[in-house]
Amino acid sequence: MQASEKTLNEIKLRIPYVEVKKDKLISIVYVQKELLINTLKTIKEDFGFKLFIDHSVIDTLEAQNRFEAFYILYNVDTKERIVVKTKTEHSLPSIERLWFAGKWAERETYDMFGIHYEGHEHLVRAFMWDTYSYFPLRKDFPLQGYENVELPSLNETVFGDNLTGTMNYRRTHTYVPTLKDLEYTEKNRIKKKAQVVLNWGPLHPGTHGTMWFLFDLEGERVVQTDVILGQLHRGVEKLAEHEPYQQFLVYTDRMDYISALCSNQAWTVAVERLLGIEDIVPLKAKYIRTMMSELQRINSHLLWLGTYALDLGALTIFLYAFKEREKIMDIIEGITGARLTISYTRIGGVRMDLPEGALEVIESFIKFFPKELKDWEKILSRNRIWLKRNKDVGVLTKEDIFFYGLTGAVARGSGVFYDIRKLEPYDAYGMVDFDVPLGENGDCYDRYLVRVEEMRQSVRIIEQCVQKLKTMSKNEPFMAESQDPKKLRLTLDGIGLKVPAGEVYSSGENPRGELGFYINSKGGLKPYRVKIRPGSFYNLCVYPHLMENRYVADAVTILASLDPVVGEIDR
Amino acid sequence: MSIVALGIIIAIKVVVILAIILGIGAYLTLVERKVAAHIQRRPGPMVVGWHGLLQPLADGIKLLTKEDILPSSANFLLYNLAIVMALVPASLVFAVVPFGPEIHVFGYDIKPILTDVNIGIIMAFAFGSLAVYGVALSGWASNSKYALIGALRKAGIIISYEVVITFAALGPIMLAKSLSTYDIVMAQIHQKVWYIFLQPISFVVFVFALLAETGRVPFDIQEAEAELVTGFTVEYGGMKFGLFPLVEWYVEVLSLSSILTVLYLGGWSPINIPFVGFVDPFFFLGPWSGFIWFIIKVTILFLLVLWLHWTLPRYRIDQITTIAWKVMLPLALFNILITAFIAPLLRG
Repeated sequence: MQASEKTLNEIKLRIPYVEVKKDKLISIVYVQKELLINTLKTIKEDFGFKLFIDHSVIDTLEAQNRFEAFYILYNVDTKERIVVKTKTEHSLPSIERLWFAGKWAERETYDMFGIHYEGHEHLVRAFMWDTYSYFPLRKDFPLQGYENVELPSLNETVFGDNLTGTMNYRRTHTYVPTLKDLEYTEKNRIKKKAQVVLNWGPLHPGTHGTMWFLFDLEGERVVQTDVILGQLHRGVEKLAEHEPYQQFLVYTDRMDYISALCSNQAWTVAVERLLGIEDIVPLKAKYIRTMMSELQRINSHLLWLGTYALDLGALTIFLYAFKEREKIMDIIEGITGARLTISYTRIGGVRMDLPEGALEVIESFIKFFPKELKDWEKILSRNRIWLKRNKDVGVLTKEDIFFYGLTGAVARGSGVFYDIRKLEPYDAYGMVDFDVPLGENGDCYDRYLVRVEEMRQSVRIIEQCVQKLKTMSKNEPFMAESQDPKKLRLTLDGIGLKVPAGEVYSSGENPRGELGFYINSKGGLKPYRVKIRPGSFYNLCVYPHLMENRYVADAVTILASLDPVVGEIDR
Repeated sequence: MSIVALGIIIAIKVVVILAIILGIGAYLTLVERKVAAHIQRRPGPMVVGWHGLLQPLADGIKLLTKEDILPSSANFLLYNLAIVMALVPASLVFAVVPFGPEIHVFGYDIKPILTDVNIGIIMAFAFGSLAVYGVALSGWASNSKYALIGALRKAGIIISYEVVITFAALGPIMLAKSLSTYDIVMAQIHQKVWYIFLQPISFVVFVFALLAETGRVPFDIQEAEAELVTGFTVEYGGMKFGLFPLVEWYVEVLSLSSILTVLYLGGWSPINIPFVGFVDPFFFLGPWSGFIWFIIKVTILFLLVLWLHWTLPRYRIDQITTIAWKVMLPLALFNILITAFIAPLLRG
C-alpha cells in the first residue's frame, strides 16, 4: 500500500519544510537536498519506515538540478510505502549511516550516473570496472555505447558486412575491460586486513554464478570480505528505456533466470498498475499467472535446495531435487513452450490459454510432490550434521533486516512478516488462501525451513488455482479487452501500447526477495526511466557482515542461504 | 624352506597383492559410481561396455592421454614426489594384512600375508601417518591457496584422527595380547568371539576415524568441492590427479577396512556366535572359505562407507577436530579403561 493521506499529513506537520504529494499510485515526499538526511532519519525513526527498499536517481536533463533522486522506504507495521524525492546537480549526502543497503545503492548510482556521495566510506564503481570513464545510464550516453577504435574489428570492413547501426554487433563493441583494468579494480578494494587473500570467484562452483569475493584469511577465519560485482552486467535498465513496455518483458526473463515467470508477472503487474487496468484483466489470466508463478517458485526453491545441500556435501539431495525440477520444467514447457526464459505473461493477460490436459498434469504433480519433500526433509531437517552446519550460522536480527534492506525468505527467516503476496496482493494472491512461514532465530537453518515450508504453501496455492481454473470454461478470455482501442491498445504483441505519464513503484514477491519496478513514464511508447529493485542485490549486501569471523566453510552455507542470482544482481 | 623358494614366494605375494589392490582400486570407481547412481535414482555409467563395465578402462585411458601440466612456479620435485608419497604408504599397509588362514600349496605352508611381523598393527598406523606427507607436499608444491588450505585441513584431520585411531585399536590389541595382525585374528578364533562384541565403543570410534582418514563424507572437507574446488589436488591434471582419489578413496578405504576387519570382525573367520563358536555356510570350500569371508566383510564395510558418503552432509573443519579431541579421544581412553578389566577374564 502507498502511504495514506493521514501519514503524509503527519509527516508534513512534523517536518514543515517538506512537500507531500499523493496520487493513486504513489506517495511522495519532496525535500531539499540539504535537509535530506534529517528528513530520512525522522521518517525512519519516528514514522517507522524502517525497511530500505531502493534508491536511485532519474536523469531529467534539465539545465538546473539535473538529477532527481528517490528513496523508497517501507513501514512493515502499518504496511505503507513512501517515496522521498530530492533534486541535485551532481552530489548527494550518503545514507550509509541510516541503511547499509543504501551504501550499495549509492555505489550503483555513482557507477551509472556519476553522482558523488559525500561521506560514503568506499565510493567505487559497483558494476563497471574502475577505469571506465563514462556513466552509462545518463540520458546523453548513447545506447550502443561509445565505439572503441582500438578494436581492430571495428575498423576493417569485412566482406559482405552490410549491416549498419546497432544491427552490426561486431562494429558496436564498446570498451571492454582488459586484464589491466581488472587488476586495477582488485587493487582498488578496501584495505586488506590479513596476509592471505583468497580469490573466491569470479568462476567458482561455490558462488553459483560469476561473483567475485575476496576473503582476507587469518588461517581459515575470514577477517574481511569484499565483493566485486559486474561480471554479468548487461545494462538492463538502459535497455528498458529504449524498448516498448511489452518488449522489455524478455529482459525480465534474463535477470533472475531461475524464476523467469515471477519476474514476468512482476513487470506485467507494474505496467498494468501504471495503466490502471489491473481490474479489467480477466480472472482466468490472473489465476493462470498465479499458478504458473507458484510453479516457478517451487522450481526455483528446488534449485536452491539442491545446490544448498550440494554445497554442504549432501550430494544426493541435489539429484532428487533436480528430478522433481525436471517435471516442473516439462509442465512449464508444455504450457508456455519454453523452459528457462519464458515470457508467458502479457500486459493485460497471458500469451495463450492453458493447453488441453495441463491442469491434470499439474494436479498429479502436486499430489506427488509433498511426499517427495517429506522424504528429503527426513534426510536433512533433523540430521545432526545438517543442524551443526546450519544452526547459529549467519544469524540475522530483525534490525539487520531493516538496516540491510533484506526481503524475501531471508527477511521471513528472521521473523519479519514481509511478503508482497500478502501485503500488497497482486493477481489472484488476494483470492487464494495460504500461510507465510516465519523463522525465529534468523540463522541459516531457519531460512532453510522457511523455504521448504514455502514450497508446501505454493502447492496449496496451486491446488486452489487448479480447482478454480477447472470451473472456468474454455471460452473465457485470457486477455483483457480495451474499452477504447484508440486510447489504449492491448494486444498480444503489445505494439502500439501507449502509457500515460506517471510513475509507479510496484513489486512482486520473487523467490529471491522483492523484485520491484520503479517506472517513470513521460507518456508514449517507452518508459523514461525504469529502476529495478533486485532482491538478490540487497540480499547479498549483508554477506560481508555475516562473514566476519566465520570459517571459509561457512562462506558457502551463508551465501547459499541468501540465495542470490547473479543475473539479477548485475542486471 | 630354501632362501630361493622364500624369495619366490614373497615375490609372488607382492605381485598378487599389488595387482589385486590396484586393479580392484580402479574397478571400485565403477562400483562407487554405480552405488551412488542407484542411491540417486539414476542408472550410472551405461555406455562403455555392458552396464558400464569397461568404464574404468575408458577413464584410465582418458586420464593417461591427457596433457601433463606443471603449474608455473610449482616445485617440480615436490609436486611429483607428493604422488609417490601418497600412493606408496597407502599400498604398503597391505603388507601386514592377513587375507586368510594358512594354506598348503605345492608342499609349502603359506600364510597369505606378506610379512607377519610382530608389530603389524603399529606398522599399519605408521604407514597411515605417512600419508600426511603426500597431502602436505602436494598442497605446498602446487603453489595455490586452495590446494594449501585443503592440504592443511587434511593434515589437521590426519593428525587428530591418528591419535584417536591408535587409542581405539589399543582395545583389541589388549584383548589379543599381540601386535601381530595374524595373531590378533587367531586370538579371536581361539577365544571364539569377534572383538566387535567386546569393543563396540572402540569399533564405532574406529569407523569414524576411518572415514576421517580416508576423506569420506562427512569428513571430506579437504575436497569440499563447493568451497575449495577439489582441495589439494586442484593443480594436478591427468593421471596425476586421478591417483589421489584412487589412493585416498579406494586404496586407503580398503586398507583401513582390512585392518578394521582384522581387529574387530575376526579377519577371515566365518559368522561368529559369541563364546560359542563359528558357523560357516561356505564349509565346502575348505581353507578357501576364509578368503571369501574376508572379502565379504571388506565389501560390506566399503559399501557402508559409500552409503554414508552419498547420504550425509559434511562437517566443518573446527567441528571435525572438536569431535576428534573432545569426543572420540575420551571415548577411546574410556574404552581402554574398560578393556583393562575385561582382558584378564578372557582365556588366552
